[in-house]
Amino acid sequence: MESMAIQTHGLTRRFGALTAVEDVTLSVSSGQFFGFLGPNGAGKSTTIKMLTGLLEPSGGTVEILGQPFTAGALELKRQIGVVPEGMALLGRLTAPEYLRFVGRMYGLDRDTVNQRTEELLEFMKLAGERRKLVTDFSHGMQKKLALAGAVIHGPKVLFLDEPFEGVDAVAAGMLKAMLQGMIQRGATIFLTTHVLEIVERLCSHVAIIHQGRLVANGSIEDLRAGVASSLPGTEGSRKLTLEEIFLSIVGASNLEPAQELSWLT
Amino acid sequence: MADLRAVEDRTQIRAAGGFLGPLARAQYAAMVRMRCRMFVIGLRTIRGILELGANGIQLMVFSVIGIGLGLGLGFTSYSLAHHGAWQYLPIEFWVVLFVWQMIPITMASFQDQFDMSGLLRFPLSFGSFYVLYLIFGLLDVSTIMGAMCCLGILIGIVTAHHELLPWTLLALLEFAAFNILLARAILAWVDRWLSQRRTREIVSALFLLFFVSLQLLNPAVREDRSRDFMNREKRAELRHKREVALSPALDKVKAAQVWLPPGITAGVLQHASENKPVVAVGVLAGLGLYALGIGGVLGIRLRAEFRGENLGEAPNQTKQETREQRWLLDGGGPIAATIEKELRTLFRSMPQIYALGVPVLMVFVVGSLFRNGPSLGRPPFQYALPVCVAYGLLGFTRIIYNNLGTEGTGIQLIFMSPTPIRAVILAKNLFHGSLYLLMALFSGIMACLRVGVPSPTLLAITVAWLIFALPANLAVGDIMSLTMAYRVNPGRVTRQPGSQGNALLSMLIQTLLLGVGGAVVAMCTFADKMWLAAPILVACGGIAILLWTRVLANVDAMANDRRDTLIETLAKIG
Repeated sequence: MESMAIQTHGLTRRFGALTAVEDVTLSVSSGQFFGFLGPNGAGKSTTIKMLTGLLEPSGGTVEILGQPFTAGALELKRQIGVVPEGMALLGRLTAPEYLRFVGRMYGLDRDTVNQRTEELLEFMKLAGERRKLVTDFSHGMQKKLALAGAVIHGPKVLFLDEPFEGVDAVAAGMLKAMLQGMIQRGATIFLTTHVLEIVERLCSHVAIIHQGRLVANGSIEDLRAGVASSLPGTEGSRKLTLEEIFLSIVGASNLEPAQELSWLT
Repeated sequence: MADLRAVEDRTQIRAAGGFLGPLARAQYAAMVRMRCRMFVIGLRTIRGILELGANGIQLMVFSVIGIGLGLGLGFTSYSLAHHGAWQYLPIEFWVVLFVWQMIPITMASFQDQFDMSGLLRFPLSFGSFYVLYLIFGLLDVSTIMGAMCCLGILIGIVTAHHELLPWTLLALLEFAAFNILLARAILAWVDRWLSQRRTREIVSALFLLFFVSLQLLNPAVREDRSRDFMNREKRAELRHKREVALSPALDKVKAAQVWLPPGITAGVLQHASENKPVVAVGVLAGLGLYALGIGGVLGIRLRAEFRGENLGEAPNQTKQETREQRWLLDGGGPIAATIEKELRTLFRSMPQIYALGVPVLMVFVVGSLFRNGPSLGRPPFQYALPVCVAYGLLGFTRIIYNNLGTEGTGIQLIFMSPTPIRAVILAKNLFHGSLYLLMALFSGIMACLRVGVPSPTLLAITVAWLIFALPANLAVGDIMSLTMAYRVNPGRVTRQPGSQGNALLSMLIQTLLLGVGGAVVAMCTFADKMWLAAPILVACGGIAILLWTRVLANVDAMANDRRDTLIETLAKIG
């Protein structure tokens, strides 16, 4: 039987009268590169926060690596790495200090922390900035450091919220290679991003959330076939891109010219 | 803000009428509306209502103090004006200046202030930026108290001489404008100086030099400190000798202060009362020049901020050697890691170091006040040690009662990592507690050096009070850090969010702890068994330690219950 890395059942989050995420049930198999997509405000970050213990669900359950995940599940937290929306950085430390702090918080011994810190700084091209405070880093450098902090303990499940935002093309290519390497070694990655080309290239499975509800879930091929069958004239003619699939599913594929802002020069 | 879209560059902003033009007025209106909406939205939460209540209480307390000061200054100015003793009027204006300038510095860390850098993305002219900088926070404690003092002086002088109303009004308005600009300029420049290592070191050196100079002045201006009791005649003779010796220096000070704003303000009124309107106008213009000058100094700072200046350490880092960093604390586990992180963060935050260190320095400076006993035929103030130790600990209020405030987005890491939050809070408590004891030791040594070593009983009582106060502070501090946390930028003194509720409650708790100590000592002294105070306070300490351990045991549950609010407040995302 296929082992599940992430499973949710009826995951719901309400903020007062607003239901940000409603009844989300999904499964991510171990070793899968999973893309979690949705328009702005659809509930992606809220979902990822609930999956990583940064936000308490109003309802439903979360299981990571087959065990119920709660804020107090400390052993389980050792198995996951997260790059959250705010990046979880400490601005008044330098990059090596930050990585060493994170490593120690995850219970790594001194030698391992030192060795991995150096390797990660070299890999992320941050070794030349070892004396600079994190607060003085550019946004892209902060993203790279946040990713380094998320993987320093070698997590089995990695949650990434917009990891490529602000990262230059060279670094993005490097990071993609690193993430693919992790997948090959058996890790599971749960990724949210607005860059659909990245998802199309990296992810084998995708879920789409829209207005807090899961509206699509499956392999990219399954989604492509499903959308193609519902769009007249696309069957067999050409392969739909993930962007077309996404726009079709969230109902934003037919923007009329009248909706444009005509006063913009 | 619909008018804004047509404006594309600074030239067009100027063409739109400068800082009083239609564009600027639209921007001011938008800002006022935004602040009003933020205020109303803030009231939707219990914390917002608590903050409003705390603000109200603070305003009330300072208004009462301000009214008291205003009344005192009003009566004095009436008396001086009535008797034509204008030469003493500058003293009043120096008092007002001192109140106006000291309050913003001492309260900077507790005030909820608006960060102007967020406005730079809008097509805002420099004039508008300057005006908005002055307007936001104008109704702060120092301005209210300063205004009340000025109002008192106005009423006092006008009651004595009705004909001086226009002159007094003009002089006081200019003096108020000068004070407002000076207070803002000091805070803006202090922020700038404390943000970079080199200037930080220079400011620290000057600061220490200033306090040491005060100490060197001390023997010159105070009476002979001989422990021998002197008779009345000998003391009078000594006083006369001192006055004669100091007279030339005082004359120089008097002559110099005439050219400074408080002296000038008093000068306007003196000349006006002597029917010398031309001279009075000239002096008034001089005061205006001071205001303009200090406005210009503030402008230099704001201009740099307006151009998007980065106050980070980045430029200095390239010059630093890239020596290998070592672990400060070699102990394994997250407690050592957190203590090391706290240590590094503290050493990089000059405002925090100042907040901790200044009370100890003040103990050293004002400790001499407790020595006035011999000259009056009495022994030195015997409770100087506990008072100094308690005062020296005031600097810890903010870091103990908001111990997660400097985490920023790092709060996410605390919730994500497999480390129990209890371990993180315990590490912070151990770190803050050790610093607390270190500062208490320093304060104690300072007090002993300045006043003399107290009796063993009093020493034991002081230590016993610390055993009670430290865990009690930590216990309440942990609860408040989780329930009333607010974000703190450790690199800035001003213009960052604060919490009046947290500040008020923490001061209340500190007062209560001092009160308990004082009450125990008073009761035991009354029963003529002062020695009993120490064991009683140690027993209270036992209860406080029990409370602290109970709080620590529940920290994880409390933090998880408040997780959403803590992350939202400290990380300010989503």
